Amino acid sequence: MEHYNMNLTLKVWRQKNKNDQGRFETLQAKNISSEMSFLEMFDVVNEELINEGKEPIAFDHDCREGICGMCSMHINGRAHGPWEGTTTCQLHMRAFKDGDTIVVEPWRAGAFPVLKDLTVDRSAFDRIIEAGGYVSVNTGNAQDANNIPVEKHKADLAFAAAACIGCGACVAACKNSSAMLFVSAKVSQLALLPQGHPERRTRALNMVAQMDKEGFGSCTNTGACEAECPKEISLTNIARLNREFINAGFTSEK
Amino acid sequence: MKWSQFFNTSIGKKLLVGATGFFLCSFVLVHLAGNLQLLYKDGGKAFNTYAQFMGHNGLIQFLAWGLKIVIVLHAFIALQLTIRNRAARPVKYQVNPGNQTSSWFSRQMAIMGSILLIFIVVHLAQLWAPFHYAEMPTQSYEGVSEPIKDLYSVTYALFQNPLWVILYVVGMIALSFHLIHGFKSAFQTFGLNHSKYNGLINFIGLWLFGIAIPVAFAAIPVVIYLNK
Repeated sequence: MEHYNMNLTLKVWRQKNKNDQGRFETLQAKNISSEMSFLEMFDVVNEELINEGKEPIAFDHDCREGICGMCSMHINGRAHGPWEGTTTCQLHMRAFKDGDTIVVEPWRAGAFPVLKDLTVDRSAFDRIIEAGGYVSVNTGNAQDANNIPVEKHKADLAFAAAACIGCGACVAACKNSSAMLFVSAKVSQLALLPQGHPERRTRALNMVAQMDKEGFGSCTNTGACEAECPKEISLTNIARLNREFINAGFTSEK
Repeated sequence: MKWSQFFNTSIGKKLLVGATGFFLCSFVLVHLAGNLQLLYKDGGKAFNTYAQFMGHNGLIQFLAWGLKIVIVLHAFIALQLTIRNRAARPVKYQVNPGNQTSSWFSRQMAIMGSILLIFIVVHLAQLWAPFHYAEMPTQSYEGVSEPIKDLYSVTYALFQNPLWVILYVVGMIALSFHLIHGFKSAFQTFGLNHSKYNGLINFIGLWLFGIAIPVAFAAIPVVIYLNK
């Protein structure tokens, strides 16, 4: 692909802290290479802001190779920008043209309060995991992995669900700010494997209860989460979560 | 988790909306089959004897009152969920993805449901309430022992007014848009998402409940109006 440089107008959300009202700020990004990632473009803009003695734009990032789930920008109305199956750090500037205006917003959800600029607090996801997104393992020597037979197809489905990096794009993309795709991926990866079976009922009930408690909306099956998920987690996981939850709700003794 | 807690979770409430929605889908089918008799050119014999039976059969009347409760439940729980869903995003986005990530129909459920609810109230006030609680002209038919209420002629008189025809067509457009997403969505809520059945569910949801049934319903006032 041919390399080119571009000048862009950025409309970026600036917010001092949790309690600040926040507003959009218009900035110019000059001489941006098409080979840069979206976050590298922000690095360039921030360098300039620092040189001018201004406050740089706060944004989340860590691995910058699409596996950590930290980056979280809503770009021109799309979670993680216009490319499918891509995190913001893997979005390249060749997705844009010279002269483009790009609107960058933080994830918007009551359960994900903005901490500063484009950084949001996603600890609600951690509390959902704490509610049941694990298997209890007794201490002692690990048993031989091949002792527990797992059907190949189910192992593949579990693996696909486990690809969820907990970035929160599903919540950001959903018109209801629902966390169902995230919770369904976490419930599915364990429900599909024998190791997850002993706790499957309490897991489904507790994780859904915690999800509601955090103030996420409910799922209306629009499919926006699946369309935006950088790890392409399938809606079939939400159906599985519903089955797990129904089964648990109808048969749990407590 | 107790039943009271279970049906107060977001998924529990969705299950109630889905279950009541399925019941309403079954009603829509039966109601259409009965109403198509309005288009028989038999002076209303088939439709009026059918209406007489439906209006006086104990089991049907029990179901009819159950149906009204189900409509209220469906609307009330869906409203609760909608209010919660709107509140889950206190600050809105400046740029929204529109149809890029989800179908237009899937985002209009509350709007279409509200139009439909208004239509149902008007429809009950116009035809159901007078049939049960008001005087209505009667008609005698060969083979029917007593003169029976002539709901057929009342309906024909109603649809001489183009404004009512338009209202009924708008109501059926809302039904169509509501069911294009609603029918298949309820299956997903019940966890029924399977590659062997999705094709059939989507086909029935779109072509039968989303298109054929609303079009057939809407055809009744339109045909009556055009044949006057």
